Amino acid sequence: MLVTLILSMFSVLLWLAGRYEASQVQTRLDRDASDATSDIRAALTRNAQTLQALQFAAADAPPWRQQASTVLRDHRELMRLEWRDSQLKTIQSVDTPYRAPVFKNFDRGVLQPEVAQACSIAKRQSSPAYSNSSYIPQSDGMGLEIMDVCLPVINDGQVTGYTLASYALNEILINQISPALLRSREISFTEADGTRLAVNGMQHRGSRLFTGVQLLDLPGHTMVLRVDSWRAAPDVFPNVLTALVMAMAMALVTVLIMLARDMRRRQQVELDLADALAFRKAMEDSLVTGLRARDNQGMITYVNPAFCEMVGFESKELLGHSMPAPYWPPEMIDEYGKRQALRLAGNLSSREGMESVFMRKNGERFAVLIFEAPLINAAGAQTGWMSAILDISEQRRVEEMSRASQERLQATARLATVGEMASLLSHELNQPLAAISSYATGSLNLLQDLGLHDKHLAQSLSSAIERIAQQAERAGKVIKSVHDFVRRRDQARESVSPKTLLDNVMPLVSLQARKLGVRVEVQCPADLPQVLCDRTMVEQVLLNLARNGMQAMNEDTPRKVLTLAVRRAASNATSRWLEFSVTDVGSGIDAQIAEKLFTPFFTTKSEGMGLGLSLCRTVVEQHGGLLSHTAHTPRGTVFSFTLPQS
Amino acid sequence: MQPTQDALVFIVDDDAGVREALAWLLRSRRLPSESFDSADEFVSFLNRNPNTAWTPNQPGCLLLDVRMPGLSGLALFEQLIERQLLDVLPVIFLTGHADVPTAVDAVKRGAFDFCEKPFSDNALVDRIEQALLRSAQTQAALKSKKTLQQNLSELTERERDVMRLVVEGLPNKLIADQLDISVRTVEVHRARVFDKMAVKSAVELANLMRRD
Repeated sequence: MLVTLILSMFSVLLWLAGRYEASQVQTRLDRDASDATSDIRAALTRNAQTLQALQFAAADAPPWRQQASTVLRDHRELMRLEWRDSQLKTIQSVDTPYRAPVFKNFDRGVLQPEVAQACSIAKRQSSPAYSNSSYIPQSDGMGLEIMDVCLPVINDGQVTGYTLASYALNEILINQISPALLRSREISFTEADGTRLAVNGMQHRGSRLFTGVQLLDLPGHTMVLRVDSWRAAPDVFPNVLTALVMAMAMALVTVLIMLARDMRRRQQVELDLADALAFRKAMEDSLVTGLRARDNQGMITYVNPAFCEMVGFESKELLGHSMPAPYWPPEMIDEYGKRQALRLAGNLSSREGMESVFMRKNGERFAVLIFEAPLINAAGAQTGWMSAILDISEQRRVEEMSRASQERLQATARLATVGEMASLLSHELNQPLAAISSYATGSLNLLQDLGLHDKHLAQSLSSAIERIAQQAERAGKVIKSVHDFVRRRDQARESVSPKTLLDNVMPLVSLQARKLGVRVEVQCPADLPQVLCDRTMVEQVLLNLARNGMQAMNEDTPRKVLTLAVRRAASNATSRWLEFSVTDVGSGIDAQIAEKLFTPFFTTKSEGMGLGLSLCRTVVEQHGGLLSHTAHTPRGTVFSFTLPQS
Repeated sequence: MQPTQDALVFIVDDDAGVREALAWLLRSRRLPSESFDSADEFVSFLNRNPNTAWTPNQPGCLLLDVRMPGLSGLALFEQLIERQLLDVLPVIFLTGHADVPTAVDAVKRGAFDFCEKPFSDNALVDRIEQALLRSAQTQAALKSKKTLQQNLSELTERERDVMRLVVEGLPNKLIADQLDISVRTVEVHRARVFDKMAVKSAVELANLMRRD
């Protein structure tokens, strides 16, 4: 479009320039033609005067002839001078000395009518008059166009004769036109109908012809002076100016096109840049990680919203803030300053995170994890540091809580283990003690039935056997007191919802589950009643069973799932029960092992004490419930126990 | 104590020492006993019954350890409840300290008693004897009830009608009117009812029927 416009503009310009040039040429040509015409006319008039002067000296013949020769010698355009009488009879004639006599081969008389006409005009007007030109063939094969001028000789108001001068038209053109005018031109006399009479100038051939035409109006004869000019007319670059304009226009167009393309590219780049910026901004704003940039002097140059939220300062409060930063706890400023100095010295590599403490605006301290990376600008020089900051206070708190809960459960577990050991010990010791006591009593019974004759012996024997029984009973009481001491908390029964029990052990179970890659599922209907139990001990049972279940699922278990479930169990008239079950999909339990499963100090684990399941059973039975296990289809084991509803 | 003469005490405990000591103690009090080292074994013994070593006709008592490998004492106790054997076979639990709450609960559910190890042995034997007595009484009651049922089943329709009216205390004349038979026929029926029910008077018959 633009190109078309420019091209058409250019064409118009070119055309206009051509036209202008042509008109210039034409004007000059016209002017030159006019000049030439006036030159010729002036020359002819001058000649006429010279001829007039010749007439005045016409009193005696010889001087005329002499004078006429002189005139002919001075005026090359004149071919012949004749002096004629009033009857047009030639009295004298002189031919030009420059060439052979013009009328040598031609009968001068043929031209008599033209001469007569011119002379009659001259006589009438008493002034020179010109005849029509005539073609006179010459001896050299060429011809000359001859025009006569007739001047009347007037003496005392009477025409006494005529002076006739013959002009060769081409000689007029040669002698009376300045050579400057002739340059690259052809000047010719033509008749009104265009017939060329005489020509002077170069025979140029050019693409274009300019013609200047001027009427040469002489008394008695009218001719047309025609000036032809050939131009290698108008070229594509007709002149320097056009070429310059053209070049500049082209340069302009090129520049415009390039500018447009550049503009478009720049716009595209700007658009891309804006997109990239928006993307980056969205990314920074969506981060939960705090970002902070500092220059090499430690001055903050950038913070993202997450960082502001973290420390509680507005970004404008932080930007441009130098060390010590407002979020540094006052008591740590010295240490941080040193660390910063060390980092600036380049001695601190911290691709791995660095733990630190920051202060919120309200003075609250919180732990953070900082990752530092050098900021490199486009020139490759380091301009500062970019830090990613993670708020780990929440994580810390959770860890702390989980550790506390773990410690509590572990303490309970230790206590429970001690209790279980005491319980086992008492059971194991009570058995032989019961046997001793039974034997003693039986022996006493027999002794009495026997009725020994020796009363004294019978007395001492029976008292000894009684003491055996008493001592056994005493040992039993000691064991019982130890046991009671350890199991004092047995009575701590309370109503707890099954969900609470599961929720309390879930943190620890999940912790281990994550470590072992086990998914834990909990099935606990919301409408279950509460159970009456010692909650810490029951939590121990759940924890033990869950841990056993997870450990039973070894590496080749396809999908490790541990299910903790609670449901209503079969109830009888006196009490209602809830059944808790822990299901794994592990390797299951061999019959051989199953037999000894609840035996104290029996374990399949390298570091186990063999008290876990025993303890579980004790706890469950203390609550009046039952702990049992069955195989789970397709694989694994279900441990379930019952607890009374409250 | 006469009812305990042909009684039998069952001991179920996994500890051989305790089993033997208890058997020895019971023998010193002239009580025969039989020992089992697990609840499962006792269950299979029960399943072999009723006609071999022990029948419900014989008074019995079960000394049961709460905690044993395999089938626990408590589980066995549940089975006995299901079989409705608790009356003919009273259960005394032997417990350690740890199992006392369990044992208490069991007593609430029908166990005869529990005894904490180590036990005051003669007190235990006394409780065993009481349990055997209860067993004997229950069995006697069962026996007489069974006899009564048998006797009743031997009565004819007419005799049963006569008996019902006799137990209500109606004289023969009214019975004859109600049943629309002769007094003589009533007297014959009445004599036959007395004979079949092994009673001598109408009062005795009424007592017998009321207990039912």
